[in-house]
Amino acid sequence: MCGLVRLATETVAGVADRSLIGVRSMVVTAAARNLLFDPSVLVDVPGFLARLLPRFFWISMWVGSALITASSVAYFDFATLPPFVIEKLPVRFETLWLASLRIHVASASLSFPLCLLLMTRWLQRRPAWHRTIGRFACGLVLAALVPSGVVVAFDAKGGNVVTAGFLLSAAIVAGGTVLGVLAARQRDLASHRRAMRHVVGQMSVAVASRALIVCFDFVGLDPDIAYIVALWGPVLGAVAVVERPALERTFSSFKPIQHVGGMFREASPLAIRLRIRNVVDSVARTGR
Amino acid sequence: MSSIPSLAPADEPTIAERAQLRVETGLVKPLAERENNRFSRARPAPRERRVRITNSTMSTDKSGRSFLPFAIDVRFGSDWRENDIVGCVYTPNGDIFVKRGDSYRPAAFLLGENVDPVTGVCEAAPRS
Repeated sequence: MCGLVRLATETVAGVADRSLIGVRSMVVTAAARNLLFDPSVLVDVPGFLARLLPRFFWISMWVGSALITASSVAYFDFATLPPFVIEKLPVRFETLWLASLRIHVASASLSFPLCLLLMTRWLQRRPAWHRTIGRFACGLVLAALVPSGVVVAFDAKGGNVVTAGFLLSAAIVAGGTVLGVLAARQRDLASHRRAMRHVVGQMSVAVASRALIVCFDFVGLDPDIAYIVALWGPVLGAVAVVERPALERTFSSFKPIQHVGGMFREASPLAIRLRIRNVVDSVARTGR
Repeated sequence: MSSIPSLAPADEPTIAERAQLRVETGLVKPLAERENNRFSRARPAPRERRVRITNSTMSTDKSGRSFLPFAIDVRFGSDWRENDIVGCVYTPNGDIFVKRGDSYRPAAFLLGENVDPVTGVCEAAPRS
């Protein structure tokens, strides 16, 4: 019995060695053609970044949201004027503008953390809670955040370029919220997720643009230019990040190196060796 | 002659210098103390501010009070940005006013006080 097992093992191992030799020769040939061993094919890095970047995003958004809320308390001290208001005044419709600013700040302080919470798996696994909080957050966004933001946008510092940026962001938030709600009602969860990611993406502009303003100030960039770049960059960047899968599909035909990477994984000698070991081990275990 | 006291000794600051000092202590210093690194869309605090008295000769407004106009320049990077704040300082009592839009408000406005514009200040009365 033991002899039979040894024979079977040796046979399988021999076949494996022969197949490995074949694979090695294939790999060497392919390497000579510069097909499989391209240094730009980094198999493990995208997976690592794919896990790291979302976590960094969530942590920075929670921290940023808390910082914005903390600094927004000054807007509700009616005896004094916060620096942002001092900088802006006088505006054409001062009472309307100031009221809109306060509504915008208050609704953003509430709706942004709620939207972050709604994006968590924990809440998504609780549909009743997700639905209730989602309805409240969407109502807040459509009834308070966007309209007040539009009013404030028309007196934005930086002129028409900045006004256009804020209005575009508001349009994406409003459109995303409406489309997201409609998709949820139709049980189209893929469209719902995509629309709501646009909403959160535009809300994240609040944190990203402030962080950029701080960074630009650190390097001594002109504050007027910094303000425009710090607004438009995150607005367009958020759209690009949310639409990245669709963009990748569109432009995938222009990236043949990814296909080479796929071939590399398919023909990896390590993978074949692991499969062979499994076969050998299973035979050996059967023999015992 | 040496026994006769001089009316304007060389080491005594001129009116313009006194006005400049008043703007520095009454506006520039409190502004710098009030500004801190905020996580806000408000303009970051400038690296440096400098006060210029833009006209060293006294002007008189309609109510007969004399004042000197000033400007504050700011620097964020390497370049100075002139006339970031413009206003006037009244020489008898040291009141400072700053221009916001088309009107002048007390300098306390820039320090966070919600004060209304004051009409007639910082505007030289036409010479008769």
